Amino acid sequence: MKIDLEKLKGIVGQDNIKNDIADLYVYGSDSSVHKALASVVVRPTTIEQIQAIVRYANAELIPVIARGSGSGMSGQAVPIDGGIVMDLKKMNRILEIRPADMLCKVEPGLVDDDLNRALKPYGLFYPPLPASSRVATIGGEIANNASGIRSVKYGATRDSVLGMKVVLANGDLVNLGSNTKVEASGYQIDRLMVGSEGTLGIIVEATLLLKPIPKFRCIARASFNKLEDAGEAISEIIASGASPSMLELMDNIAITAVNKTLKMGLPDVEAIVMFEADGKVKEAVDAEINFMKEICEKHNGSGIETSYDLKERTKLFAGRKQLFAALSRYKEGLSCTSLADDMAVPYSKMAECASKIHEIAKRNNVVMTAYGHCGSGCMHTKILMDPTKKEQWQGAKRAVEEVYEYVRSVGGTTSAEHGIGLSKAPAWKKEKADSLNLLRAIKKALDPNNILNPHKMQDAPDDWVSATELRYPVE
Amino acid sequence: METKNLKSWKDELNVCIRCAYCFEGCPVFKVTGWETDSARGKTILAYGILTGDLEPSQYIADKMFQCTYCRDCSERCSANVSVIDVLAAARADLVEAGFASDTHKGMAKNVKETGNIFGDKEITAPVQQGEIPVFIGCQYLARPNQTKMYIRILEKLGVKPLIKAEACCGYPLYALGFRDELEEHKKKFLETFPEEEIIALCPTCAAFLHEGYGKKAKHITQAILEHLPEKNLGLKATYHDPCDLSRVMGITEEPREILKKLGIEIVEMPRNRKTSHCCGGGGGILMSDVNLSDDIAILRIKQAIETGAPLLITPCPTCEQVLKKAAATVREKGEGNITVKNLSDVVWKALRS
Repeated sequence: MKIDLEKLKGIVGQDNIKNDIADLYVYGSDSSVHKALASVVVRPTTIEQIQAIVRYANAELIPVIARGSGSGMSGQAVPIDGGIVMDLKKMNRILEIRPADMLCKVEPGLVDDDLNRALKPYGLFYPPLPASSRVATIGGEIANNASGIRSVKYGATRDSVLGMKVVLANGDLVNLGSNTKVEASGYQIDRLMVGSEGTLGIIVEATLLLKPIPKFRCIARASFNKLEDAGEAISEIIASGASPSMLELMDNIAITAVNKTLKMGLPDVEAIVMFEADGKVKEAVDAEINFMKEICEKHNGSGIETSYDLKERTKLFAGRKQLFAALSRYKEGLSCTSLADDMAVPYSKMAECASKIHEIAKRNNVVMTAYGHCGSGCMHTKILMDPTKKEQWQGAKRAVEEVYEYVRSVGGTTSAEHGIGLSKAPAWKKEKADSLNLLRAIKKALDPNNILNPHKMQDAPDDWVSATELRYPVE
Repeated sequence: METKNLKSWKDELNVCIRCAYCFEGCPVFKVTGWETDSARGKTILAYGILTGDLEPSQYIADKMFQCTYCRDCSERCSANVSVIDVLAAARADLVEAGFASDTHKGMAKNVKETGNIFGDKEITAPVQQGEIPVFIGCQYLARPNQTKMYIRILEKLGVKPLIKAEACCGYPLYALGFRDELEEHKKKFLETFPEEEIIALCPTCAAFLHEGYGKKAKHITQAILEHLPEKNLGLKATYHDPCDLSRVMGITEEPREILKKLGIEIVEMPRNRKTSHCCGGGGGILMSDVNLSDDIAILRIKQAIETGAPLLITPCPTCEQVLKKAAATVREKGEGNITVKNLSDVVWKALRS
């Protein structure tokens, strides 16, 4: 692929372009199992620069891959066809905070936690809270439709985005959405952009809906000797009309990993359920917590600890927040790979889904955990294996297939919040079999030359194992 | 390239899930913004060298040496990846392959020939008989007045320091990848300092005596606190935690206790104790990449100025040096004003009063 580096330097400046093999290698992977080399990395600082880069790429048919912190787990930011990796982290300004309108306008490279720190003096917060909020950029979260622990009450990113500015594949800049909570008419292209993983346009500014920081937050943790009981408690909490602001599940593998790595001292039980309630009135929060506590007790939940204190809440939640990385220390010789990492199933199937995951893991000689934001139907797993062994990848491939076959069989969906990218694309294409042509038509309409993050989602290869080189040295 | 050092960290590199959580506090990444400069970026480069995906180059070596060894990455890593050990192994392999910079080679030569990193034969320890072995370290030896102050503080507090004709602890050889030279140096060092318990003046030396030699090293702040009487200086200050003291030695409260005992009100920076922001002076970059070091120091001094305290206190000579320079730069630009002092200055002032 021939790229005019001088032209790109002219657009972004000498200091904002890299093409040494070392840089291309670093920017060629994310938190997934994939790797591929970009041709060049550019770091625009203005919308005009982005437009100029995209216009050039569109004319020359060069792929453009927008990138935030590269913390995605499914290979969304991996440049499968090479091309221009567009690092947007330098565009990280908060443009406006409008407390009276409960909104803010930000650039895409802003880190989620930085936004929330800036909002705190206004008594406001931006609700989507992925575990990676300390590094995840708003642009990446929108492209991925991230959600996180509070999605059970506040929804996913799509529910918190009012509008955005987008650079289209031809370089045009469009304003999508509005500054209002409701917008009735039209195709609502802004909503289509959320979760499109950089395949339809480059998000260059976002208008976000804010919420008041609740005066009271109470967190609770319950232990269950049987995973099934934990699942039933979760189903009943949701079906009862309770209003948790968080409802999380951790299985024993997750508990063991966290205890080993972070010395958390969590109870060695089959499952832990964490739940939280928030609000303006303490009595109301108390009532919610007690109501959920009673449901847990009814389903044999025990050792229930609750706390309003920020330090104590942080401590109670720390294990869950850092779980993903901690899983890599579950057992010597096993590494945590982001495979079958994300799915959603109907509430009544949460416990069954967790058991199924364990069963599939055993059958395929890998270790899999089950945890997630069960309050929104979201289940996560990871495959823990020796990534240098070929047979482990064969087992992992079968396990991924079987997990998503089960998810489809109960009416679930392939991704709850981590996106599709490359590694979940084969399963997602099966799930969306009857709408693939529609999805491709939308892509074609918005990106006729297929330059924006090509060969992802519906256009990704059918075999994720060979979609790119694996980032591990497989023997 | 032979990867005899990196090879032993292969499993550790597989443990890294590339979550990027280390971006949050990495001082080099905060300054440059390029992923290649972050802890994750360096870990990926190390993996590339180990697996053969990447051919070693001067560019990669330069990246690997652009690290302050502050260990913020290790502190934030939920998988407990030993990023610094991986990086040190990569540096050692790169040095063996001939990628050491002339500055770093010079530093290693200085240690061998003069016993200190500066290559200055005039720098010698103020040898004296005593009861408790005290290790001064290169940085304080080059600041004889400050060293004298610490010795007098100890004496005034009833501690009788035993000071020997010492040589560098060897940490620079470790950090800069000179493994063979380090092993040779360590033997000589142990001949001079066979004692198990040593009080070190410099946080980095204390950390390396502990980690590199397995000694029961104490930092001087611990020794001072044990004997310090209460005073009332009536000052307001912010305290900067040196990385080796807070993240490696876990010594965060003793210096604060000293300040409180002296009647100094502490105004904390948001990043304090184990999440302290690096001053920019470690890992060898002060000598090889002074602009990067300066930029990191400016980030930290601005955080200190934001507390509103007129004074920043730290017990580390390197932190003191780079933060003083940063404070002067910021002052000149009219972006704020703060005075930087070594902990010894305020302790000595209190003891004299």
